[in-house]
Amino acid sequence: MAVTTTTTTTTTTTTGPLQIHKVPQDTYIDALRWLPHLSTFTRHILLAAYDSDTSTPSLKSLTFSPSSSSLTLQSSLSTPSRITSLKTCPSKPLIAASTFSGSLLIYASDLVTGSLKLEFSVPEKGFHLGAVSGIDLSENGSDCVSVGEDGRVNLVSLSDMGGFRRVFDSNGLVSYSAVKWASPVEFVTGAFGFGLHWWDQRKPGGPAALFKGNWTGGTASGIVHSIDIHPSRKHVCLAGGSSGAVFAWDIRRPQQPVILSGVGIGDNPTNSLVESDIWEVQYDNYTNSSRMSNSSSSSSRILPAMICSEDGILAVIEQGEEPIELLVEPCAINSFDIDRQNPSDVLCSLEWESIAILTRQ
Amino acid sequence: MPGVTSDSGELNSLSVVPHSSDTQSPIVYPLRNHGLSPPLIRLSISWARGNTLRVSFLQSEEHNVVGKVVEVKLTNTDGGEITDAQRRRIEYGSVAPFALLQSHKNSSITSLYDKDWWERVMEYSKEISSLLGDSKSSAAPIIGDPKAVLRKMEEPTSLRAAWELLEIFYVDKHCQTWIPERLLDWLADFDCLFSGNQPTVHAKLVAFQEELVTIQAVENDPEYWQAMSSALAVGWLDVVVKLLRLHGSYLFDQLGSREIENGLVEAVALLISQMPRMRPYLLAEKLGESYQTKPEFMKAWEKWRAQITKLDCSAFWLQCDHQKTRDGLKNMLQIMLGNASILSNVTYHWIELYISHFLYIRPFTVGLESMYTLAQKCMNLKPILYRHKLMGLIIGILEENTEVVLAECSRSFGPWMTTHAIELLTAGSIQAETLLHEQQSKLGGICIEELHRLVYAQILSSHALTWNIAAIYLTSCMKQGLGLLENLLYKQPVQHHQVLLKSIEICRLNGLDFVSCNMMKIAGVHYWKHGKKGSAVFWLQQARDELRLNRIAKHLFDFVGKSISDEGFKQWEGMIELLGTESKTAGGLEFLKKYRDFRRSLQQVHEGITTEAAQKAAEALISLMRNPSTPQQFWLPLLHDSLKLLNWKERPLINVSQTNILLNKLQDLSLARLRPGFVETDLPPEALKSIRLALATNLGRAILNE
Repeated sequence: MAVTTTTTTTTTTTTGPLQIHKVPQDTYIDALRWLPHLSTFTRHILLAAYDSDTSTPSLKSLTFSPSSSSLTLQSSLSTPSRITSLKTCPSKPLIAASTFSGSLLIYASDLVTGSLKLEFSVPEKGFHLGAVSGIDLSENGSDCVSVGEDGRVNLVSLSDMGGFRRVFDSNGLVSYSAVKWASPVEFVTGAFGFGLHWWDQRKPGGPAALFKGNWTGGTASGIVHSIDIHPSRKHVCLAGGSSGAVFAWDIRRPQQPVILSGVGIGDNPTNSLVESDIWEVQYDNYTNSSRMSNSSSSSSRILPAMICSEDGILAVIEQGEEPIELLVEPCAINSFDIDRQNPSDVLCSLEWESIAILTRQ
Repeated sequence: MPGVTSDSGELNSLSVVPHSSDTQSPIVYPLRNHGLSPPLIRLSISWARGNTLRVSFLQSEEHNVVGKVVEVKLTNTDGGEITDAQRRRIEYGSVAPFALLQSHKNSSITSLYDKDWWERVMEYSKEISSLLGDSKSSAAPIIGDPKAVLRKMEEPTSLRAAWELLEIFYVDKHCQTWIPERLLDWLADFDCLFSGNQPTVHAKLVAFQEELVTIQAVENDPEYWQAMSSALAVGWLDVVVKLLRLHGSYLFDQLGSREIENGLVEAVALLISQMPRMRPYLLAEKLGESYQTKPEFMKAWEKWRAQITKLDCSAFWLQCDHQKTRDGLKNMLQIMLGNASILSNVTYHWIELYISHFLYIRPFTVGLESMYTLAQKCMNLKPILYRHKLMGLIIGILEENTEVVLAECSRSFGPWMTTHAIELLTAGSIQAETLLHEQQSKLGGICIEELHRLVYAQILSSHALTWNIAAIYLTSCMKQGLGLLENLLYKQPVQHHQVLLKSIEICRLNGLDFVSCNMMKIAGVHYWKHGKKGSAVFWLQQARDELRLNRIAKHLFDFVGKSISDEGFKQWEGMIELLGTESKTAGGLEFLKKYRDFRRSLQQVHEGITTEAAQKAAEALISLMRNPSTPQQFWLPLLHDSLKLLNWKERPLINVSQTNILLNKLQDLSLARLRPGFVETDLPPEALKSIRLALATNLGRAILNE
């Protein structure tokens, strides 16, 4: 098996239709993403790493060749502080990274070589107070929205280098934890207390809609850690957070969340796959294509979604179906990313300083 | 040290884990670029996280004090066979096997002495040793280099060597009948570890391998014969046979003239490859013939030795012209016949000699006692010049002294090794079990096993990436574990969101609800102080801390816009959402929700003019004014905003008793004004007058109505 550096060894296991490569990294992985790729033979991976021995955070790009399942380092740039959120743009070779110290970094990547270059950064001063907790790049790569626990919502226009516009400032009354674009003018923010706010830039001054989590009998409240919106169903917002909660909020029926998983939330209090925090949710197009074909009443159903959790589970969940566990680890799975161009491939970061690359066949 | 009281005597009597503080010379860490020039007025040193020191320099520059703080990382002093990242990988990897073994232990106490218990421990041991490096080299190339005598393999670690030793002697019950052969395999894998400070057979072979490329006729080189004798003595038969086949007589052009010589070389090579071995199996590339039962082996052994003797007395030796070949081969036959003085000459340290004795002199040695006697004999023949840490461990094992083994593990390999090796030591040994599990009064009532786990947990908890693993080890400690886990959790920085959530998760898994409750309170107060009011309210709500919620409610209300036209109230919507539907957890903040509802209905009244809407708003007003949690500073603005309701044209919306409540509130307010600390509202001065008038009018209308 090929190795990345001198001492790291990849372990490969194949269970049924799933092939898993685990690659130790010697650094903590704060976030990771696939970069858009031009050929299927070489692909690039983006890692937000933190070396605890030297206390240095960095952004790295690595080349992954699926044939030999080897990882080689392409470039490594040091960042001013640890990265809290990392997003790539589907249409342009652009990368946005927010930091713990409260700045936003915009990188350009060369899709052929996988090298990185800092385009510009939005400095900490005045941008957010403390860490930026979530960012998202719009689909055409023109804007980046950022939210923080300080209750600020900022919009950075990428054409206007380094400047930003304050969309809202709740003066700390609301702490935002995640954000996702729904359309070029709309986005959804997630907050403490399972709060979801729908923002429309055409209606300034505050959120256009608030989600009311009136789940019956629910005692637990929690934090939304991650949001996803499917490009073909922009009115449905998928959110995951504390206590294994995954729910979908349809803007057209704001009073009725669809609960996919969770402990002590809604009507299914016990049989939850995950009881701890859900760190990331993403719609899973791969499962979609294989399962939805034989179900006709799919228009009102929530599309299948992938989750990763603090208790070490990477799984696909679907409304009314048994969840499919892809990976069960003794440590937390902090983040994952499904390759947009090749959705059978999934990348995930494990708490114990390693990453795993899964190929579904 | 946990569980140790300071008044129980002098310090040395307490150290169960031996310290070797006097053997190490001090290490100097130069501090560069602190950027300050002398004189420094003050220097202070304190411990930071883990093994880092925080050094603060203070310098006086004409009344201005400038300073700088640097952190100094104290590196591992033993030169670092294992890097920090590798060490962490071992720590991560050993969590799951350890936890699994503990859960097996807890689920079936009785099966501890069962026959199959050691098989569980064996699985555990295999998993751990796989973390310590791969001893099996990667697949050999198909076209082998004929001159590559030794296989290239990953540099093994002494940690792995030590672990395998423990496994051989304490766990693997299958190998009890062939321990000498296991030791031979062990030495073949790890002899290179001894090369650092003393000559070894491995080092000899490596040196010869390098020369081999340049040598024309190997058989003329005395090194060739020495290397082969040494390899033969420690039983690396495949290496010896491979070297023998490099003999010049095998060359095509020489075969005719050196026929007899070649025959002798081949005969010796054949005898070597047919050597009987007392072991159940041999790996494919190893030579010899394995025998499982003692009688079979004895028979084969006698036969093999007879063949050697026969060859030794053969007449062909006289016809062999090449003297070096003759002497070399004869020497090898002597080794195989067990000539003690030659064995001692061709081996370099006592373990090698020990193995050669097992192979050629005492192949029937069984039992630790006789093994120990033999080891002592070998140590007498080859005194220890440099005491390698593995030698100490082997001696401890052969002495059957668990305490020594444990002390060697702790001193040479650290707390990780001790904590995990205890599971091997206690597998099936009742004597070790009682020793390690006995409560020791000098340790504050904990047992040795728990002590080592606590020490290891402390090391884990000093690192930012491994602190949460410590919980696994602490929860396996019966006496002190949970208490220390609480301490560890309280020490984690709450301002790091992720760390806080992880701590809460650990509490959830271990049923430490009160700890997580306290941490949430700490987090709530922290966020409140830093202006993150939303997070603060969230965490205090999660902790159901009504006391603090009520207290911060008073401060929060000062920020709320009190007039209905205030646009700033939009900010509060998110906060009110956060409070949720259940009033139980909102404490004094519940008022905000009612206030919002009242404002909404009032807004509708201002927009449209339906009496029902107005009636609803009036009810909301009464319930707000009745509620004791409504803060006093809101009373007057509330009433002022509701003037329209009080003066409702169609019919009075508020009945007599309700009007009396409102009038009483006004009365209270005028009394409160006399008290110190009263906050005057910023309403126009005639506001109070108009409220009084409206209330009086309403009262009159209501009385008439009734």
